[in-house]
Amino acid sequence: MQREVFAPDLALHVETDLIAAGFDSMSLVRVLLFIETSYGFWIPQGEINTTSLQNIRSLAVTVSRLKHAQ
Amino acid sequence: MNLSELLDNSAGFWPQKPAFIEGESVVSYAELSARTHSLAGTLSELSIAPGCRVGLNFPNSIAYVELTFALWRLGAIVVPIPIECTEEEITDIAGSLRLNAMIGAKPRNGSTQIETASFLTSFRPTPPSDNHGLNIAFIRFTSGTTSARKGVVLCHETIRDRIAVANQGLKITSQDTVIWCLPMSHHFLVTIVLYIAQGATVILARHVLAEPFLHAINQWQGTVLYASPFHYAMLARDKSDTAMDSIRLAVSTTCQLTQDVAEQFIARFHRPLAQALGVIELGIVTLNTGDPSHRWNSVGQPLNGVEIRVLSPDDEGRGEIAVRGPGALDAYASPWMSRVQIAPDGWFRTGDIGRIDADGYLFLLSRKTAVINLAGRKVFPEEIEAVLNRHPAVRESRAYGRPHPHLGEVIEADLVLASGDAALESVRAHCRAHLAPFKIPTRLNVVTELPRTAVTGKIRREVIAV
Repeated sequence: MQREVFAPDLALHVETDLIAAGFDSMSLVRVLLFIETSYGFWIPQGEINTTSLQNIRSLAVTVSRLKHAQ
Repeated sequence: MNLSELLDNSAGFWPQKPAFIEGESVVSYAELSARTHSLAGTLSELSIAPGCRVGLNFPNSIAYVELTFALWRLGAIVVPIPIECTEEEITDIAGSLRLNAMIGAKPRNGSTQIETASFLTSFRPTPPSDNHGLNIAFIRFTSGTTSARKGVVLCHETIRDRIAVANQGLKITSQDTVIWCLPMSHHFLVTIVLYIAQGATVILARHVLAEPFLHAINQWQGTVLYASPFHYAMLARDKSDTAMDSIRLAVSTTCQLTQDVAEQFIARFHRPLAQALGVIELGIVTLNTGDPSHRWNSVGQPLNGVEIRVLSPDDEGRGEIAVRGPGALDAYASPWMSRVQIAPDGWFRTGDIGRIDADGYLFLLSRKTAVINLAGRKVFPEEIEAVLNRHPAVRESRAYGRPHPHLGEVIEADLVLASGDAALESVRAHCRAHLAPFKIPTRLNVVTELPRTAVTGKIRREVIAV
């Protein structure tokens, strides 16, 4: 995710606040595409919220939950 | 005429009215005008003179607006450089548009600090480059093929005409509060400049997600939304029961709205979703605010003074859309080509294929050109191919947009490799180093040959492998 989506000089940790780090609509598009390419599904728009996108950990939890629900 | 007069007029009419609100920062029209005067003085001391072309590589902020109007006040020309551009892309823009200087949010080699978070880098000393005697305000770089024209040149008067045409449809007034989420480097003239000219208040939304966005609309009692279908899709699928009753006008732009998003948005918020057709070379030319339920997929009727027609229509009335009207570009910058040379009869070819119904509503069907539209961002395939082809393992390549249910299109590329065992990871790393992040292909497909036309041998762009 660090390599594919974010700026190389961004110090990204699992708890980094993505919105505070300057997350914009194009970053969101790239994250959603990365997840679709890596895990084979598109996160439903209704699941894209401040809770799921708070940081990498919350994103991973969301992806894992949706993956198991499939 | 100078566009900074529009800001000064609004500062005269509504001195204490908030012009921009960004987080905790509120700037009134009087303050905005004063700040641009002060900033213009600083830039003048740094040798920015009338006619200088200055790149603006800056994130969405009140400072972005101040810098633009300060440069205009000096008679300098603003060239927006999207914040996501790589160093290589910045060098290309600076070279092909012969920029005199660039202002960025971070220091660069040899840059001078203007304010806390803005830095000016000089590329070329004055005197400024030849601007053909025009009163140029803005040059919008358009990425393209090596042979394509680069840089849409717009004079102060042209932009004034554009916003006058657009506001016949949008009807922005000083009573409006606009909730803003699009990148200013891509959208500024018939949006931000128009809002300033009309004395509206603009809220710079920090969050792109539905909940905080809805919160901002309600907190500030926003009346106007101007966003892409991607934003509307997120809002439409928000699961809360937060309404947006204060919104009087929600405009979708940048790419075609899909039926499900239009219907879901209307069902969720009980608000029509308007569509506009904006063309870099022409501004907003059509608007659909009146009949979204029956013609949700139309970009609307031409605004007053604008004419549209279908060139060489087929049996079903479909053909390339041409537009004529006020606000058309003054020239292409590199190489220079005047408006008369571009469109001798005044009709500008948009490259969009469409049809016009009996009531004059325009429906866009496809693009004549191969430009890829990723969630509203236009990307030329030749630009990606040029980078791919520079990798030693790539013999040739073809980039294209694959239809995507949520983003319009995503970028993919087919590669013919020079040697069979080249690692695709190395090609991906090469893309990451040389392309803005959103231009990096989502998938690289290795193929043995590219589809070509039988006659000219050119790469065929309409073929997409399944």
